[in-house]
Amino acid sequence: MIAMDIDGRRVVTEEGRTLLDAAREAGIDIPTLCHHEALEPFGGCRLCVVEAAPADSRGPAELVISCLAPARDGLVVRTASERVKEARRTVLDLLLARCPTSDVIRRLAAEHGVPRTSFPESTDGSKCILCMLCERVCAKIGAHAIGGAGKSRGKRIAAPFDLAAEDCIGCLACARICPTGHIGYEETDDERKIWGRTFRMVKCEVTGRPLMTEEQRSFEAKRAGLPEDWFTKCPESKRRETAETIAKAFEEVR
Amino acid sequence: MAKAAVNGKRLIVTPDRCTSCRTCELACSFRHGAPNRPAVPRLRTFDFGGPPKNVILTCFQCDDAACVRVCPVTALVRSGETGAIVVLERRCIGCGSCAVACPFGQIEMDPVKLLARKCDLCGGDPACAAFCPTKALEYR
Repeated sequence: MIAMDIDGRRVVTEEGRTLLDAAREAGIDIPTLCHHEALEPFGGCRLCVVEAAPADSRGPAELVISCLAPARDGLVVRTASERVKEARRTVLDLLLARCPTSDVIRRLAAEHGVPRTSFPESTDGSKCILCMLCERVCAKIGAHAIGGAGKSRGKRIAAPFDLAAEDCIGCLACARICPTGHIGYEETDDERKIWGRTFRMVKCEVTGRPLMTEEQRSFEAKRAGLPEDWFTKCPESKRRETAETIAKAFEEVR
Repeated sequence: MAKAAVNGKRLIVTPDRCTSCRTCELACSFRHGAPNRPAVPRLRTFDFGGPPKNVILTCFQCDDAACVRVCPVTALVRSGETGAIVVLERRCIGCGSCAVACPFGQIEMDPVKLLARKCDLCGGDPACAAFCPTKALEYR
């Protein structure tokens, strides 16, 4: 058991938790962009910066990245001190220069008192903040279809060699997890286009509603150890079918 | 429900008693919904011609559940307290595989949150059972 002081409140957590975990469990909000609980902490966006000092320290508190910093007994943590706010403003100032067209970044920056960036604005129109959530979720799923390409200011997310992403299963996890909506895709009832690929949709046998891509079905069936024809109907059709089966069974015993 | 829960209780469904009044669906919606946005219920009644023919359908909280097996990020976990399979919303990536995998259609994707949504037995105090006027749903 670890007891800390976060913003003047006593917060108790367990060994192995981060400062971000402990704060959120206690209902204290810390802004993040690159964090997702399905994935390992990454420390990419630096927005979750907080001030932390051991209780016995007479020196100044350190600025630490709360998604990575482990909870330790007796820590005194400040999530919204002037120093923390200034650090977050700097982070958002830089992100705003990189992605001036992103509504998410503009709103977040404005909320933190950064109405405009003090750096030269990027003109490429990209909304990517290189948080790598897309690459990380793709790897977590096990597809490993996309990743970082180039370096320094030219770094971006791409499919290998900028070709159509061979290993992509069209699940849209990357597009959904992207905090700024940078990853685009096109979708109709019949097909889905993303990362240079066109996927055919599996449709509900009863209602014809699109369920998932054919590649995603094969991939998920293999993961779960289920036959591919397990994935054939939408929830509504399956509910109706189950209810009718139960009704019939009751009818027979009556 | 297959596995015995720590609290020793089960959601017992007696379809013969269901009048399909849909109070359970309303109670479920209110319990899980935000103000001004009545949620879609996580259980449903089917009117096949009045009692005793009606059916109530909710999650069976399967032992070896397809939804749990298919989830790529382990966002579906069994609660030790109630035995219910619950969605950890902060872990869910909204891929929808569980909704297609459940053979009984008991998981849907929330169109607003874009996350999986299913019966969680209200953490041990299911609203459906509390409000069912005919005891077609009981939690004991």
